[in-house]
Amino acid sequence: MEYGSIERELHVDASPEVVFEVLTSPEHIRDWWSAETDLEPAAGATGSLMWTDEDSGRRHSSPFTVVEADPPRTFSFRWTHGEAETAGPGNSLLVTFELVPTGTGTTVRFRETGFRERGWEAAVLEAHYNDHRQGWDFFLPRLAASAGRLAAAR
Amino acid sequence: MSTAIDDDLWSAIGDPTRRRVIDLLLAEGQGTATTLSAYLPVTRQAVAKHLVVLDRAGLVRSVSEGREKRYHVDEAQLARAVAQLNSVGAMWDARLQRVKSIAEAIQRAKNTEK
Repeated sequence: MEYGSIERELHVDASPEVVFEVLTSPEHIRDWWSAETDLEPAAGATGSLMWTDEDSGRRHSSPFTVVEADPPRTFSFRWTHGEAETAGPGNSLLVTFELVPTGTGTTVRFRETGFRERGWEAAVLEAHYNDHRQGWDFFLPRLAASAGRLAAAR
Repeated sequence: MSTAIDDDLWSAIGDPTRRRVIDLLLAEGQGTATTLSAYLPVTRQAVAKHLVVLDRAGLVRSVSEGREKRYHVDEAQLARAVAQLNSVGAMWDARLQRVKSIAEAIQRAKNTEK
């Protein structure tokens, strides 16, 4: 059992080019991540993701560093490191999207790693990860339902 | 699933020194800025500032002891914090579903144009 990562795979009925554009353009990131960003999909580019709490108006941000941008196949970045730090293994989480053409659509392979390396006590990490799995079991059916409603509303 | 609470937590523990402080407090049971700084490559003053951030996030509590504050991890709050972190996986599920519906809407619009 690997406790250090989250992995997901899903099929999208859109070309890899379209999926890559949605994943990497600030315009779409605003929609799917509710975040304002100055992200540029180029290896080594740095920037920040910023969220505004609608109730309090408070702003929160996280830096990110693009690790790899190979349209329309691979997009990966590191985030959650300290503002003044250079992102690397041990101080940040690494998110990777791999896009594989499948028929007329795309298989998206998502992976977030680095939970283990961030130095949390093993017990806390394990409880954390186990709860993640329970969380997925609870949320997935609801998400599928709300995604269906969203698609119907468009 | 409040994004704001998650981001607050990320900013409190998003710093490796602060995560190390929590790990040390868990291992030792308690500590002051002075005792913790002996284990860390930063000054006592820097550790004191990190403790203030953790205190604000509710992850540690303190009792005054002479000129210093003695800190311990608030286990109930840490459990809550861990619960917040637990939603990370579920949040990615939500984000990925939004990526899917946005990309599919764009693709449908493109197909209609042809």
